[in-house]
Amino acid sequence: MVLKTLAVLGPQHGYGIARRIEQTSENLLSINHGTLYPVLLKLEQEGSIASEWGVSDNGRRANFYRITKTGRKQLGDEERGWQQASEIVARFFALRGEEK
Amino acid sequence: MRWLRRSWKRAAGIQTGAGQERRFTAELESHIQMQTEDNLRLGMPPEEARRAAVLKFGGIEAAKESLRDQMGLSGFESIFKDIHYALRGMRKSPGFTVVMVLTLALGIGANTAIFSLVNQILVHPPGISHPERLVVVRTKYEKLNLKSITDSPPTFADARDSRAVFEHAGAMRTLDLNYTGDAAPQSLRGESVSAEWFDVFGARPSLGRVFAPEEDQPNADHVVVLAHPAWIRIFGADPSVIGRTIELNQESYRIIGVMGPGFEWPAPVDVWVPLALAPRALNPGNRFNENLTVVARRRPDVPFAQANAWLKVLADRVLNAGTPGAAFAKNADWGLFGVPFIDFSAGATKTPVLILLGAVGLVLLIACSNSAGLMLARTSARAQEMAVRAALGASRRRLMRQTLTESLLLAIAGALVGLALAYGATFLLLRLAPEGAAAGLEGSLNGYVLLFTAAAAIVSGIASGIAPALQLARIDAHETLKGGGRASTAGPARQRLRSALVIAETALALMLLVGAGLLLRAFTQLEGVNPGFDSKGVMTAIVSLPRKQYPDGVKQAVFYRGVLEQLRNTKGVKDAAIGLGIPFSQYGEAGGFTIEGRAQTPGEAVPHADRRYVTPGYFAALTIRQKRGRVFTEEDSLETEHVAVIDENLARQYWPDENPLGKRILLGEEPCRIVGITGHVMGFDLAADSGKGVIYLSLFQEKRAIPVAWIMAKTTGEPTGMASAIREAVRAADPNQPAHDFKTLDEMVASSLAPRRFVMRLLGFFAVTALFLAALGLYGVISYSVTLKTREIGIRLALGAKPGSVLVDVLSQGLRLTGIGVAAGLAGSLLINRVLASQLFKVSAFDPLIFASMAAALLIAALLASYLPARRAVRVDPLSALRAE
Repeated sequence: MVLKTLAVLGPQHGYGIARRIEQTSENLLSINHGTLYPVLLKLEQEGSIASEWGVSDNGRRANFYRITKTGRKQLGDEERGWQQASEIVARFFALRGEEK
Repeated sequence: MRWLRRSWKRAAGIQTGAGQERRFTAELESHIQMQTEDNLRLGMPPEEARRAAVLKFGGIEAAKESLRDQMGLSGFESIFKDIHYALRGMRKSPGFTVVMVLTLALGIGANTAIFSLVNQILVHPPGISHPERLVVVRTKYEKLNLKSITDSPPTFADARDSRAVFEHAGAMRTLDLNYTGDAAPQSLRGESVSAEWFDVFGARPSLGRVFAPEEDQPNADHVVVLAHPAWIRIFGADPSVIGRTIELNQESYRIIGVMGPGFEWPAPVDVWVPLALAPRALNPGNRFNENLTVVARRRPDVPFAQANAWLKVLADRVLNAGTPGAAFAKNADWGLFGVPFIDFSAGATKTPVLILLGAVGLVLLIACSNSAGLMLARTSARAQEMAVRAALGASRRRLMRQTLTESLLLAIAGALVGLALAYGATFLLLRLAPEGAAAGLEGSLNGYVLLFTAAAAIVSGIASGIAPALQLARIDAHETLKGGGRASTAGPARQRLRSALVIAETALALMLLVGAGLLLRAFTQLEGVNPGFDSKGVMTAIVSLPRKQYPDGVKQAVFYRGVLEQLRNTKGVKDAAIGLGIPFSQYGEAGGFTIEGRAQTPGEAVPHADRRYVTPGYFAALTIRQKRGRVFTEEDSLETEHVAVIDENLARQYWPDENPLGKRILLGEEPCRIVGITGHVMGFDLAADSGKGVIYLSLFQEKRAIPVAWIMAKTTGEPTGMASAIREAVRAADPNQPAHDFKTLDEMVASSLAPRRFVMRLLGFFAVTALFLAALGLYGVISYSVTLKTREIGIRLALGAKPGSVLVDVLSQGLRLTGIGVAAGLAGSLLINRVLASQLFKVSAFDPLIFASMAAALLIAALLASYLPARRAVRVDPLSALRAE
């Protein structure tokens, strides 16, 4: 989700990512913002995202994260994986429908 | 791949820790502020906006902690923090720290010291490289009841020439050498060895060189290699001794080398000289004349079984040679076999040493249980602190790691103190160790031992920290905080665990106590054994007359008569005698004989007996019972008929239905008439006397020279004064010959029990240590539970309970724990005492008296350990107890 957000929105700071995830999920996913940062750090250590300090829209210094080439590749892999998984699950739901 | 990259980044993160920390703080702060601003825009009041932002974020510290965890490589940083924190905690409670460190030091130190011995005896004998590849070649005559004896020169030559199996093979024979330097003559312990002897052991000289093959020849120049300790003792570690000529047995020998420190097998040895076997010694006729210790080194690709099989092949060649010797060999069931070097060199010490290692392991287990108990108590006392830390965001794992770090640190401190203890203890052990068993062993702690200590420290650190760490995992931060740290400390589970530890300690301690008790009982039984002679008041010394000056029995007899004459005229000497082979001198000579007029059935074992050459006064000096006939007199000489005295066991074995007196036996060519029968004398082992029959021959009827003789002087009082009498008598007979190895006969008998005494004392020491530790553990648990129940006791006393009933309550709690432990310990003893059986004597491994008395001793100690806290319980002041809550 973090990667997708960054891929769509471009460089973004932590708060922005958290807000965006909440918006996209229409507040269905309300995460503890604190748990976001360890994930960001992990992705950064894996090289999927990179970060640099910048100035936010309202003039505040913030650490901006952007997706890297590795990140895009990973995103592609994961998207396909998810798609596959959800398709499989969907097929099962369809199956149950037929039985009724 | 990704995890690899991540690990690298994490590893790199260790260095940049401080910068990263700032980054997180700034980043999280900016996050909160942005949220706050958004909240403000939504119309929240400023205070509320910030609060909502923080709430939304969750635990800031927890997030930071989690980031930090990810930064360092598996949290190296936090380990340093743990260590720092642990050290601070240790400083804050010095009493706890000291008890923990000392308990573990005792356990680890004792283990290190014993392991140092085990390592040298059973794993890495000093100065020998790859001892596992060494094979001792042994000869046996099954039908003669000779199961494992030395080898003959032809057998040695066979092993030496088996290059496909053995890289090297060497032969050794001991000899005493009289060294006449500047001072009084002294006797050196020498070994004649073949040129390859040192190659077999991979032993290298530290100065000069060892023997060249051409020096190992009958007519070569006399050369000598010094053992390292002898070089220091006699020559003051002077490096210029190489090339110097010294007098040994009144012949000149040139020193060509000094052996490196360590190699001294078989110990003790001062000098090595070449064996220089004459070519005729290798004649097939010499096949059954065993006088060499042969050791061979297997080639790396030859397993032991194959080497052993090869020895059988060699033996079969001899058996199938079709010679008269081969027939004899077949009749006697002669054969060759190999013994792994360690098994041979450790010999009878193997079992005792392993028993000690097991015992000391139990002590370490007890020490660990004890320290685990202490750690548990401390964790309980710090439950609140831990709960606060957990509430602030410390993870369970982190808290557990903290506890383990503490116990490991304590164990390492214990190991360091233990090493110091072990260093001293090893020297003490070598002093205490039986003479011979300790010879050649080093007191120093080498790499193997240090490695062992490190392993012991880590294992005991984890062992004592794991229980409290697991307890922590179950801590309920919420409950603990709510209870104000009061109710929760009583945690029944924790108390149960501590009780279980105490029960285990008690059981282990009882097992050690029972073992020690059994050995003690066996030992006292042994001391009461009647050996068949009276050792009281007898002083002994050895003389070894060199062949050059004393080539035959006639010359030697002049010397011996001179010594005895002089001794008899000395004031205080009641009896004096000389013998080759006296009881408990370790010297044994045995041989076959034939009985005149009795046909030898083929395939039946040849009659066989121990042999002793003695002067007429021998039986009186040793107070050996005379059963029938006479003993030797001064009239028995080379001119008169050869006579023999036999002991009752030989008489019973070979003349069961007739009177042996007057019968003649043949030893070699010489017929001897049996003139007397004496009582049996135990000669080697009080516990396991072979009961083998003995033939005594008169020393003055011996034509050949004997290599060594024991001089005995019996007095009515203290025998120690007799040493100077013997020395004087020897000097009067020949000033060039030293008498050496002065020992009272009592000492010699006692030293045959030395290995048992050594094991018994050490096991006793370990048992007492275990008892003490177990009592300490029990004291800790009872004392702690009294503290916890202070309020309850206060209320009971306030309600009119009798102090006596409180006392009984506390005592019975202690006794209940001990009782279970005793039951478990008795059961454990029944299981493991089998290993002790070989060390016992006239005591069953399940002796009920020992079991009962040791259990009683443990219960008394337990009563004492619970009485102290119980007395404190009784003195509880109801008022203050209630107020304290």
